[in-house]
Amino acid sequence: MRIDQTHRTWFIGTMAGVLVAAVIYVPYTLTSPEGANGGTAVGLVYGSLASACMLFAGLLGARKKVPIWRIGRAQTWMRGHLWLGFVSFPLILFHSGFRFGIGLTRALMWLLVVVFASGIVGAILQHFMPRLTTERIPLETIYEQIGRVRLQLVAEAQTVIDEVSAALAGNVSQATAQQRAASASAGTMGGVTVASGLQVDEGASAQLQEFFRREMQPYVANGGSRGMPLADRSRSQSMFQQLRLLLPPNLHPAIEDLENICEEKRELDRQVQYHRILHGWLLVHIPASYALLLLGAVHAVMALRY
Amino acid sequence: MARRIRTTKNLAKRMDLQYFKKPHPLRRWRHWLSILVPLVAIGWFALQRANSQKIYSSGPLSAAHAVLGKQCNICHVTKLGFFRAAVSDDACAKCHDAPAHHPDKVTHKVSCASCHVEHRASPRLASTDDSSCTQCHANLLTRSGSSQFERVVKDFDKQHPEFAALRPGGTDPGQIKLNHYAHLRPNLAGPSGPVQMDCQDCHRLTAMNSSWPYSIPDSAPKPLPVAGRTDADMRHPRSRDYMSPILYVSQCAGCHVKDLQFDKRFDQAAPHDKPEAVQAFLVQKYSDYFATHPRALSEAVAPERILPGATISVNMNLPLPVPRTRQEWIDQQVMLADRLLFDKGCKLCHVMIEGNGSLPTVTKSSIPSRWFLHAEFSHDSHRLLTCTACHDRTPESRQTADILLPSIASCRSCHEDNGPQHDAASGRCSECHAYHDWIKEQPSKGNFTIPELRAAAFR
Repeated sequence: MRIDQTHRTWFIGTMAGVLVAAVIYVPYTLTSPEGANGGTAVGLVYGSLASACMLFAGLLGARKKVPIWRIGRAQTWMRGHLWLGFVSFPLILFHSGFRFGIGLTRALMWLLVVVFASGIVGAILQHFMPRLTTERIPLETIYEQIGRVRLQLVAEAQTVIDEVSAALAGNVSQATAQQRAASASAGTMGGVTVASGLQVDEGASAQLQEFFRREMQPYVANGGSRGMPLADRSRSQSMFQQLRLLLPPNLHPAIEDLENICEEKRELDRQVQYHRILHGWLLVHIPASYALLLLGAVHAVMALRY
Repeated sequence: MARRIRTTKNLAKRMDLQYFKKPHPLRRWRHWLSILVPLVAIGWFALQRANSQKIYSSGPLSAAHAVLGKQCNICHVTKLGFFRAAVSDDACAKCHDAPAHHPDKVTHKVSCASCHVEHRASPRLASTDDSSCTQCHANLLTRSGSSQFERVVKDFDKQHPEFAALRPGGTDPGQIKLNHYAHLRPNLAGPSGPVQMDCQDCHRLTAMNSSWPYSIPDSAPKPLPVAGRTDADMRHPRSRDYMSPILYVSQCAGCHVKDLQFDKRFDQAAPHDKPEAVQAFLVQKYSDYFATHPRALSEAVAPERILPGATISVNMNLPLPVPRTRQEWIDQQVMLADRLLFDKGCKLCHVMIEGNGSLPTVTKSSIPSRWFLHAEFSHDSHRLLTCTACHDRTPESRQTADILLPSIASCRSCHEDNGPQHDAASGRCSECHAYHDWIKEQPSKGNFTIPELRAAAFR
């Protein structure tokens, strides 16, 4: 969620709340024996408010599980989660008198730090990453479909290769003078051996098949194929440039298609990478939040007891 | 050859419309972690709880209570059925009989825990925060509406009154004519020649056992016999906090015994006692002399025994009549000795009041044993300082009425609120003031066995 002008009311409300809490805290801590203490009346108020904020923030998960519930707009819930979750941190610090304590209270404080820090990181990522993704990944697809799309790209590439191979088999004599001249001066480039002389079309088909089998198919079919030559755009361009030298100009659009498929695969890889960054923090934030709410409830009950 | 064309329709056709029903690694991880992490947290909690109740502790106990760390229920006594277990004053009273603070004057009772805040790893729980005191003393309210104490005391730095004795109108109640200036001059006549006196010649901590330099040999107070003294006595703060009282025999007699000499015919000086005892001593002394000196009646009176112009003790007509009988001689000798002692020797230090009888009355010395009646002070803690660093007016003091107590400004030159944060000594209330009137403390009876205290219990 982008934190824009629409958050203004929440921002002002949150900051005002923190300010009021801080203004109350200063005389409270100065006049309390040994400083602020969670067990005092004021300390309990801070603790209760913070618990209520955390509980509301935690309910976002439940709200998402049942999206058809007509309890406020999803955006309102998200903003509440963001800002009330934020305000719970200073309230807890005021509640504890900026002490971490020992045992359960220390565990709770560290959990709170983890939840708060991961939440802040998440909010920053959610603010910047979507725009970055749109800019850098024009061919963005549904994340969960990336594996399926990769396989479709492989199939698409296979079709192109087959068409090119068929074209080469039936049109040897169609080699142009320019192609002949170019292939005559070719050598070995980028791991692809360029045939020479008039035998270009027969060898080109085999080399194209070999290129697809050894380089392109493994790259496009598998995710996370970093380190492969085609994962690097400049190396990829170089390799496809050599393929163009093998083939007659009328087949160059097919090479462009293959290059285009590789480019799309690179974007899919980048999308996976961005998606992991954009959503990976939730692997920390959500489990830690549940643990915090659970142990927080124990703390609240036992603090009232003792 | 057909070029690759990307249309929305083409792209849409690539999608599996049921994709959201299939588990995805990130979602799967999130799901399982959301179960696993809380379970681990609860498991950790259960494990800790199985060992002790310490898991609920909000912080380390104070040094004195650390031994109770395994047994929360010693202080956290369960009340209200089985749930509530907050610390009550009764739990504290099991071990501490702490007398209440002005119970007949305060408007509301405060609990022990409101001042002695536990679970802060305090090295000394009695060193309470100033706010414990200022919650009442910042605006002191009493049941009667009036108070002998300052109504507004908020801190030591700015809102603390001057010490009572040093406020306008305060005087030293002492009735001994002591001139500190004279005593600290060089080449003072000592028992064995000229001396330069030092503060510690007369003022020493009670715990000090060394002999006094100006006492009468074999007459200074003896230290307690070894069997009657324990190490605890030596360590007890009070014995190292305050000065020994000023006594004639230990601090004055060495030099001033000569002022109690009443007759050259006797080596022994008059006793440092009440006039009646001195009188009895003199009668006995002259009776004995007369018995052993048959020619005493004809002995002339030494001129130095006749004090010119003295009128306090006796109405003396000069020249003195010649005694004819033993009794007349004894009466005359005693009268002369009385006059020498009461009008000169005793008056050197004491205020003598002519009474209705034949003997004067000695005004009680009234030297304050403690100046701060509502505060504690430890001279031992300040031993790194010279005496005059604080008692700076002493070397020039000539009058008994001079109060040589250091002012609060002197204390403030080292002590500050939150002192350690400012490289200064602490200025917190509890440095000097005790909340509880420990004189009224009753001995408390032990309540626990060692296993009850130390065994970890699951409750």
